[in-house]
Amino acid sequence: MSVISEKIQEILAYAKSRLEESNEAGDVNDMRVRLLGKSGELTSLLRGLKDIPPEERPGVGKLVNEARDSIASMIELRLALLKRLELERKIRDERIDVTLSGKGIKRGSYHPCTLVREEILRVFISLGFSVEQGPEIESDYYNFRRMNMPKDHPARDMQDTFYITPDVLLRTHTSPVQARVMDKSKPPIRVVCPGKVYRPDDDATHSPMFQQVEGLVVDKNITLCDLKGTLECAAKELFDSKTKIRFRPSYFPFTEPSVEVDVTCPVCHGKGCRICKGTGWIEVLGAGVVNPAVLRDSGIDPDIYSGFAFGMGVERIAMIKYGIPDMRILFENDARFLSGFKEEI
Amino acid sequence: MKVTLNWLKDFVDIDIPAEELADRLVNTGFEVEEIIDQRAAIKGVVLGRIDAIEKHPDADKLVVCSVDIGDKSLQIVTGASNISVGDIVPIATDGAILPDGKHIKTGKLRGVTSCGMMCSGEELGLSESDYKGAGVYGILIMNGETMPLGTDINDVLGYDDVVLDVAVTANRGDCNSVLGIAGEVAAILNKPLKMPDLSYGASGKSSVSDYVKVNVQDKALCPRYMAAAVTDVKIAPSPEYIRRRLKSVGIRPICNLVDITNYVLTEIGQPMHAFDMRDIEGAKIDVRRAGDGEKIVALDGKEYTLNGDILVISDAVKACAIAGVMGGENSGIREDTAAVIFESAKFARDSVRRTSRGLGLRSDSSARYEKGVDSSLQEIGVRRALHLVQELGCGAIAQGLIDVSDGQADAKTIETTLSRINGILGVEVPADEAVRILGALRIKVERDGDKIVCTPPAGREDLENVNDLAEEVIRFYGYDKIKGTLMEKGEQTVGGKGLRIADTDLVKRLCVAAGYNEILTYSFVSPKACDVLMLPEDDVLRSGVELLNPLGEDMSRMRTTLAYSMISTLSSNCLKSIRTARLYEAASVYFKGDGELPEQSERLALGAYGKDEDFYTVKGAIENILSAFGIDASYERSTLPYLHAGRSADIIAAGGKTLGYIGEVHRDVSAAFNVDERLYIAELDIDMLHKCARRKYVFEHVSKFPPVERDIAIVVEEDVTAAQIIASIKKAGGGLLKEVSVFDVYRNKLLLADKKSVALNLVFRADDKTLTDADITSRMDKITEKLHSELGAVLR
Repeated sequence: MSVISEKIQEILAYAKSRLEESNEAGDVNDMRVRLLGKSGELTSLLRGLKDIPPEERPGVGKLVNEARDSIASMIELRLALLKRLELERKIRDERIDVTLSGKGIKRGSYHPCTLVREEILRVFISLGFSVEQGPEIESDYYNFRRMNMPKDHPARDMQDTFYITPDVLLRTHTSPVQARVMDKSKPPIRVVCPGKVYRPDDDATHSPMFQQVEGLVVDKNITLCDLKGTLECAAKELFDSKTKIRFRPSYFPFTEPSVEVDVTCPVCHGKGCRICKGTGWIEVLGAGVVNPAVLRDSGIDPDIYSGFAFGMGVERIAMIKYGIPDMRILFENDARFLSGFKEEI
Repeated sequence: MKVTLNWLKDFVDIDIPAEELADRLVNTGFEVEEIIDQRAAIKGVVLGRIDAIEKHPDADKLVVCSVDIGDKSLQIVTGASNISVGDIVPIATDGAILPDGKHIKTGKLRGVTSCGMMCSGEELGLSESDYKGAGVYGILIMNGETMPLGTDINDVLGYDDVVLDVAVTANRGDCNSVLGIAGEVAAILNKPLKMPDLSYGASGKSSVSDYVKVNVQDKALCPRYMAAAVTDVKIAPSPEYIRRRLKSVGIRPICNLVDITNYVLTEIGQPMHAFDMRDIEGAKIDVRRAGDGEKIVALDGKEYTLNGDILVISDAVKACAIAGVMGGENSGIREDTAAVIFESAKFARDSVRRTSRGLGLRSDSSARYEKGVDSSLQEIGVRRALHLVQELGCGAIAQGLIDVSDGQADAKTIETTLSRINGILGVEVPADEAVRILGALRIKVERDGDKIVCTPPAGREDLENVNDLAEEVIRFYGYDKIKGTLMEKGEQTVGGKGLRIADTDLVKRLCVAAGYNEILTYSFVSPKACDVLMLPEDDVLRSGVELLNPLGEDMSRMRTTLAYSMISTLSSNCLKSIRTARLYEAASVYFKGDGELPEQSERLALGAYGKDEDFYTVKGAIENILSAFGIDASYERSTLPYLHAGRSADIIAAGGKTLGYIGEVHRDVSAAFNVDERLYIAELDIDMLHKCARRKYVFEHVSKFPPVERDIAIVVEEDVTAAQIIASIKKAGGGLLKEVSVFDVYRNKLLLADKKSVALNLVFRADDKTLTDADITSRMDKITEKLHSELGAVLR
């Protein structure tokens, strides 16, 4: 009995130490055959049971079987460990430089003027304005006459014009869209009209083609205070929440009273800096109460309805917002410049 | 409009500094573009007398002078040679500033201390016409001056005024004069407006009608014509105050009579003209339209050819002036003029504007008429001119004035209510305050409770309705009283963008997601663009709209395609050594149309270049956009001349409508931009995308059964396209064939001359069962048969 028991202990010790040394699954399997196989050492021990006294057989058999189970589980554990180590090594070997650039998709960009225009539209849409567009090549009728500027009106000097024929021109402002909207709809009207406009100027602050956003409200009981409140709301969204606006009297033939609208300088917040030429204010748009003559020409009774209109230059606001010093940069279309504008519309 | 503070003070008592006045003017709608203090340009320059001149010990060309400047004597070193002992000269003392910004300091010249500098006329910013002798090279000699030594040179020169350059808006024609601005200043300061002195005594025994008869043929173009006669004229320079004031506002003094007309124009806003009486033949002035082809040499010395739209002032035989624009050389004031006829007329502003534009001839007078001169000014103007003639003693005034007028009064009234004014403004202006403001602007107000009847003063042609009155009230009540409200009394509306505009947004979003940067290019291009794009003479893209007055030839045609701008932008980036670019633009193109206005259509242009770009990368972006609009397009070889014939395709929608094109730019075109790189462009018609879009998604059953896939490789002629192969396969494939795609194209010049091998993957699937090989085999046979019969394809 003790001889066999010793033998079993010996086999167990041997199995344990050999398994711990096995680093390949093949070696472990060899061990399984050698110890547990048909002609393995433990199997031989079982076979030898017949040589021991019958009363000892159950005890010895139990010992042998326990040893067998123990070795089998050691083998499984070892195999599992080797498999895990193998996987770990593979993961280690497959590691990559995660700082290299991604593949395939690289996002493009919107032109800064598009970003500004869409931001303006978003603010006014949230205030109940719908968006309308009109033709860039316009008639004298809509561009001037419907805006209360008959032929040879001195106010036409305010807007030099590109002509196609004496009666067809490149619109000088988005205001003709106002008239087109009033022709097809009835109050209440709240529209914003973005688009390209053209004037023969070309320098650091003027481009022969630029973009405007025009706004028009026609309804009952609309006042100059409503104009101010609406523009205040827009200026806070466009610049920052502390932005203030002020009105200065001005003249446009299609609004009366007319105002130039200044916002507190978004750079110095009104303290005075280079951008605002030390005044603390920057002129951003022209606006006013719709001239009754314009309403009447559009078939809207000025004794019942009133309204306001405003127009702002997109390029100018883009220059202020992004600190662009020369308007011509906006039309250079340098891919390096353009790809810097990552905002979404 | 330039006005001076002293000139304004003739008409209103101004007791605030110029800067404050400027601020108040801005707040009431008159932008002050510049404030020029005449004393600011020269500082620290005084009158001095040279008492001694000695040779410089160490320099041959320098002298050392001793100069008396009243309270002390200064040693000054100079290199000037035109000075003598006893000369009175301008001395820039230590710390002086000259008009060019130069600071003068005490210093040493070759070891000798110089406590300042003697100035030349040029250094003081003076020309010969400003001061006699100022044009001489050397130090300005002022020996005629009688003021004490040490007097500030500004006082010597009479620089004691401040010039305000006021921007007058187009509606305020009446403010294009000193008197007009003074009227606003009076309202700002709430002080009375003093009228100019119009008094004079007619000294001559003769009457104006003895010298001239006036006949106005066209009263629409000349509603009022006044004339006066002055005899015994003595032409001489005007007095200093008139010359100085004219110079301050940018008018060159000429002689007393001409200066009087300019002075009245500036002060009253009434253009005046003076004819030399001896040149008016037949003692007759006829205001008539010119004959077609009639010629006149104007005072600028140039000959102008006139036509029947142009009004002239004529005597019995010839035109003597272009009405409201410029006098004729044949009747102008000369040094020996002895008698004049003054003209003070109202000409219709649109007529003067057209004439001035048409002839390309502008003058102070035409500029003034274009802004509108009201019919009260002619009499004030002519009387003021005659007052000045008397004051200057330059002639004898004949009795009487000629006044030919259409008799139409400008007076009109506006009836409204104070609550209506408040309703426009949105603020409650106290009734008394509103009435006071209107009164201060010399608007006559009759008030009955809330109701008011307003009569604007002469010249305020801009005041027509209640909105105009509301503006007058708020200008002076203060725009800072306007408080923001958000249309609380208006009706709520729903905002948003319509589908058409949203479609452009969608296209842009897809481009940005696909890595394209948005560009912004001009809508006008050079007419040469069509040549660069190698378009044939009769190509529709050549029917672009032309500008009558472009900024230059390069910007004279409205574009019919975005291709030229895109290729040009790709090239300019390429030439800046930017290695790769993806660009897009959504913009309009314009075609001559049948309607009143040209046709406009919105396009998308894509452009790309760089080592990873090819036809298919751009096509991928296009397919992505088309798929967002639910459009299934086919691609056919394009014949556009500016594209590589083998690498370009027209994009065709179901139904045959062309949506656009994709292609590599023709090498001749990119070479025209000096670019070697392969450029890829595409254009899509966004209006057409909007029309062809299939926006409704209909549920389709998804099969639960597994697919059976088959790969085949076929050999076809090089010209057979993937689209043709797929179409044949689909025709023969039956309903079970769900997908066909090309996964490889193989060419081998040795084994397959002029042919290629195309490998395709076919996916079959049934909705109701798992397919077996037997189900597919017969289908595959039909497919290979079809490919062979239609395309001559053989299985590899």
